[in-house]
This record gives sequence, structure tokens and C-alpha cells, in this order.
Amino acid sequence: MFRSRAVFLPASVLVAALAVSHGQSTTDASRFVVLAGVGLPAVDAGMATETTHAPSTAETLHRVELRRAMQDQRAGLSAPYTPGRLIVRFKDAASSAARLNALRSASSTAVIGERPSDANFDVVRMDPTEDPEAAAEVLRARPEIDYVQPAYRVHTMFVPNDPYYLSSPSFTPGQWNLPLIGLEQAWDIQPAAGSTITVAVLDTGMAYMNATITATLPAFRDDQGTQYPALGPVVIPYSAADQLVGGSGAGRVVKPRDFIWDGTPSQFMPLDFDGHGTHVSGTIGQLTNDHIGTAGVAFNVKLMPVKVIDSIWDDLFGAPGSGDDSTVARAIRYAADNGANVINMSIGREGPPDTAPAIEEAIRYAVSQGVFIAIAAGNAYENGNPKEVIAEIASRVQGAVSVAAVDRHAVGQTGTRRCQGTPASPDCHAYYSSSGSWVEISAPGGSERGFDRDGYVWQQTFDFNLTDTFLLPPDSFTAPRFDVLKYVGYIGTSMATPHVTGVAAMMMQQGIRDPAAIEAAMEKFAIDLGAPGRDDLFGYGLIDARSSLRGLGLAR
Amino acid sequence: MITRLAPFIACAIALGWPAAPARAQSAPRIALRPFAEVSGERFAATQSFNATFGQSVEPLYGGGLDVTFRDRYFVDLAASRFKKTGDQVFVNNGQVFHLGLAMTATLTPVELIGGYRFHPRVHGQPVAWLIPYAGGGVGWYGYQQTSAFAQPSENIDTRKTGVVAIAGAELRVHRWIGIAGDVVYTHVPGILGSDPSVSHAFGEDDLGGVAGRFRVIVGR
Repeated sequence: MFRSRAVFLPASVLVAALAVSHGQSTTDASRFVVLAGVGLPAVDAGMATETTHAPSTAETLHRVELRRAMQDQRAGLSAPYTPGRLIVRFKDAASSAARLNALRSASSTAVIGERPSDANFDVVRMDPTEDPEAAAEVLRARPEIDYVQPAYRVHTMFVPNDPYYLSSPSFTPGQWNLPLIGLEQAWDIQPAAGSTITVAVLDTGMAYMNATITATLPAFRDDQGTQYPALGPVVIPYSAADQLVGGSGAGRVVKPRDFIWDGTPSQFMPLDFDGHGTHVSGTIGQLTNDHIGTAGVAFNVKLMPVKVIDSIWDDLFGAPGSGDDSTVARAIRYAADNGANVINMSIGREGPPDTAPAIEEAIRYAVSQGVFIAIAAGNAYENGNPKEVIAEIASRVQGAVSVAAVDRHAVGQTGTRRCQGTPASPDCHAYYSSSGSWVEISAPGGSERGFDRDGYVWQQTFDFNLTDTFLLPPDSFTAPRFDVLKYVGYIGTSMATPHVTGVAAMMMQQGIRDPAAIEAAMEKFAIDLGAPGRDDLFGYGLIDARSSLRGLGLAR
Repeated sequence: MITRLAPFIACAIALGWPAAPARAQSAPRIALRPFAEVSGERFAATQSFNATFGQSVEPLYGGGLDVTFRDRYFVDLAASRFKKTGDQVFVNNGQVFHLGLAMTATLTPVELIGGYRFHPRVHGQPVAWLIPYAGGGVGWYGYQQTSAFAQPSENIDTRKTGVVAIAGAELRVHRWIGIAGDVVYTHVPGILGSDPSVSHAFGEDDLGGVAGRFRVIVGR
């Protein structure tokens, strides 16, 4: 495999060079070109042994801060929103002149850009040095405006790390998370596992095809101020996750869309340069019962990768967009309008409530179109437990649920008094899982505390040793390789959410087509955890796939 | 129980006892009459039955023994059975979602009914071929429920007590054969209505209902 790669890489350089010279690139200064389909299948490097992708590891914090630093360097500002941008929904009756007058009352530089695709709102551009929150405050009082908000940045709800369904001497953890929610019995009930259902994964993209990428990598400073050298033009191999899309991937992936590379030739190629989206997609629909790797929840669903989060590499490649409320709202509408039945949003952001009207309207629109949405409840329990703005919306929309995380302590607990926090009933609240009135349901998100690597949620994604080269010292910094895949463990409500998404897909195929009814069923059949009834840590409790699929008999 | 039966007993006494005709005196002192019956019951848990079986009127088949005393008083012991396979469903705000998973319900009522047989007269002449009757009693209602992919603890096998009241008429078509039609009201609490179940979702807790019943009776 590696020998063939030695031949492949120079050849790819040549092909890529020819492609560039023929003008196939139109992105940011031709820095980034994807040659779709040009590339070899992935190298399956087996299980990862490192456990650096937990919420509080130095590497995870470094990734988060580095991504923030990348965005800040690009924008020139450090803020929770995309500078120079407002999301505005004008009243239909407002004339163009009235709209412009309204904008002028808040900013002398504001102009209404061309309405982006899949949006029912306008994106107003303004001087990046102006404060969009202050401008929004002024505009809210204007009669011409339904709502206005800054384009707040969103981020993934993860914390990554390795695989295999059953515990074995070579891999002790196994996928404890799947039997915990009754999936073995659920698969008996529905062996088709969601084959007629399309799940949109709004995330960092997905490793769904082989490609060869040419990019020009600029110099950059990381979050600690360390200067990294420019690498110039590089060729980057990219491979599909074979356990996600199968040998050919034909028919599995539908309507891919990239809102980070919107307006470029890559806008329909949402390649994952982070690993998070691929991992999340694996939990939803990893190929299963094929004697290879790990299992997924609804392993026959069709997948719609929709990229709404920019990774560090997207930023270094020169992506024109970034993950903010505008991106997410458009992506939700895109998914709903293009055949998605279920949307997974292992993403979120903190902030005051009711500051994401664009996303709320998009969520309500999608649900009205029969789309069920699962949203991560947040990973900030130990960091002040702020309100999760997007998850909070879910709690107000019947048909969208916010998902908290439980850890492996939940395994083996039976009866009606689970996770009470006593020696006989250990607390199973994952230490990072945000709590609040918005939490509606729980699912396995994992935790390293008390379990080390046995407490992670495992799926196939990239070998981070080859992708996260920005974590290395500057003199070791190299171009990444996205063609070597491993089974990696992650932790977070990002990992809990795709469990709920997968079960929703199976419920839809079983006959519950109404998103509100799916939520009602999930909550009714949830296994109560912690305090009796709904509570802020676990919501209605741990999702029960089997009971949700079996429904009700005449009597009990 | 007694309270529920009181109106029927009072009715029977009021209508029947004062009008005992001479004919009755010549009837057998005690007659044992086996019968077969079929009934169509409209279950009180209408929404629950509609959701799971697609209809709320269901047939029951059975038989039993009728004992009459001087052709005036009777005691029936009858057993019947309803069995049907429907669907597991989920109910949300009244909307029913069928899950394509088989659920089979079997209802086996055993009813003991006592009552009075009237002997009407037209223009002072007894109408021997038509014998109205009314009565009431108690029933034991066995209910079994099995469903696809259920764990043993999720299947149901229970028996509850209910009450039954009847009113109808027997038509003598032959010296040894009569046919009877009556209306049967039953009230059977304690089986439906527990959470989680379809009947709980609809707030229905009575496995009884109103049935139209047809009997073929052998005997005088």
C-alpha cells in the first residue's frame, strides 16, 4: 500500500499541476484545488492508541485555541462573531430605500450583500472594525426589521480519540455506547437500520471521497504566538473513510454541500479536514455487520455531508467562509430543501438566549418540513455551564431535541433508580455535559475520567498524527495527509448527539414520520436517570432505541 | 357490584313477577339448555381499538349453558373469545403512527348472568314464541397480549372481574330450538389504561363495551 503511494504522490503532483495550469481553481487566489476522485483508497491503520482527544487534554485545548487564533488572524479581531457581518431579516413590506435607511442608522458602512443561497435572510456587510452587536442593538428598534443578529461563530461539541464493537483482549473498551441504548434489540426490530432515510450531518465535513488536493500553505502564528513557516504549494492525499462510504460510496452520500467553501468549485465537496464530522457520521451510519472495525447506529442511512464548521486546515487553505450562525441557518434550510429526513448538529455556541433568530427560524422551517433535528447540549458544564444558544432553541421546538451526555458509569445500571450518585447507583453524568432547562434527552458521550481509553466513543476517522501537524514544533511542521484512517475515540455531547440522530432515523423508517412525534416517543420511552422525572442534567433520561421502535400495545 | 345490578333486578321484578302466566306453570321445572353464540362488540375503548386493530367493533364467539327455572328465571354461564392481531403503534396528540410490529390480543370473557324471562300477552293471549328477558351478572375477563420482539415481562396474561347486563328476546322456532338476540353491556376495568399503552394515551380504561349478540339455544 505504502509502496504504491510512493508512486502515486509524484504522479498526483503532476496531475495537480496540470489541473491548476488549466485553470480549474477559482478559489481564494487558486491556493486550494480539489481533484475529486483522483486518489487512492485510505490506508486503514487500525486502532489509535493515543488518548489526546478528550475535553480537557492539552492537545484538545490547543486545537480549539489554534482554530480561534487562525480565525482571528484572518479577521484581524478576536470576537465570538464573524467581524463585519450582520444577519438581517427585513420585513417583506420594507422598501429597498427603507432598508438602506435603517442600516444607515446603525452603520455608515453597512451594505446589503447578495442574498446567499438557502437563506431567507440577508447578510449585511460592514466595516470589520465596527461592533456588530452594537449595530444589531440599534437595528432591533427599527420597524423595517424582523430580526437582526451578529453572525456568531459556532463550533463542534466534540472532544476526540479509538474502535471495535465488542470488547476483546486487543481492544478492551468495545463500543459500550451502542448496547447501552438498546441497539442490539433495536436492530432485531429493524434490521434495515434506516435504509430509506437521509441524514444530514452539519459538521466539519466528511471523508466521503478520494481526492488529491493542491494547496499553498502560508506562514502562520499559532495561539501561543509561535511562528510556523510557509510550506508553499503542497499536494495532499485525501481518502474516503471506507467504513463510512463502502468500497464505492455509490448511493450512500447524497447532495453534499460545503458552506465554508461557498462560491468556490469546492462548494459541493464538503471534505472533512478535522476528523470530527467523519467521526460523528460514523456513529450515525458506520457500515456494520461486515466483520470490519466499528458499528454505527442506523448503519444503512444515506448521508448528506454539509460543512458548516471550518477546521484549522480550512483556514490555512484559505477558505472564504467560517462557521457562524449564517452558515448554520443556511445549511439547515439546504438540508431540509434537499431531502434530509434527520439533521445532526453536533455543534453549538454559548451566549445569551434568543440571540440566534436566524437559526431558530431555520430549525422551525426544517421541522415544519418533516425534518427531525438533534443538537448537542454543550460541553461546558465545568466551564461556568453557560447557556447553549442553539440547543436552547431545540427545547422550544417540538421535533428538535438537545442531547446531553452520559458516561460509561451508566453501563450495567438497571431498575428505576439509576445514576443517583450513590455507590450502588453511580452518577453517570458526563463531567463536561452542560446542564439546564434546555436538556431534553441523554445519550452516550463518554468520559475518560475513571475509564481512561475505555470510556471513549470510538469510530473511524483520520490518523491525527498525520493530520494535526500544526501541533508539532515549527521545524517538524509538514503538510497533512488525509489518507490514513484509524479508529479513534472521541468524547463529548457531539458524540452523544449522533446516537439520537441514528435512532430518529430508525424510528422514521419504522413509521413515525412526524418530528414532534419522534421527540415525544424518545422522551416517553427514555430511561429515567438521576432525579425522578425530567431534570436539567439528563433531561427525560437515556434514549432507549428498542422501546422507541417498539411503541405501544393496547394494554400494558 | 350489587349496586350496579340493582336496577336490572328491580326491573325484572317489576315487569315479570306480577304477570306470571299459567303457561309457565306447565314448563319444565328446570331446563338445561346449551347454546352457541356470536356477538359483535363495540368496545368502549374505541380509539384504542381503532388505533391498534383499525376498528372498534369486533366479533366474539362462544357458547355456554342456560338454566331456566319454571321458564321464569334463568342463569347463564357463557364463555366466549375474541382474538385479533393488530399493530404496535405510537400515539402523539391523538395522531397514530403504525410501527408494523404485530400485537395480538385475546379476550376471553366468562360470564355468569341471572335474570328474568317475560311472557308477554297480546289481547290477553300469551305469545308463546317470543320471550323477552333481562338480567345482569358478573364476568371474569381473561386478557392476553403478545407482541413482536417483546420480552416475556412485556407480554400480558391477566384476568379481571367486570359486570354485565343484558336485555333481549328469545324466539322459539322449534319445540327444541330457540334463537335469541340481545344487547349486552359490559364494564371491565383494570386491564386497559396503564402507562405506557395505547389505551393510556387515549385515556381509555374500560375493556367492556356494548355488544349485539345472537344465540342458538337447544332445549325447551
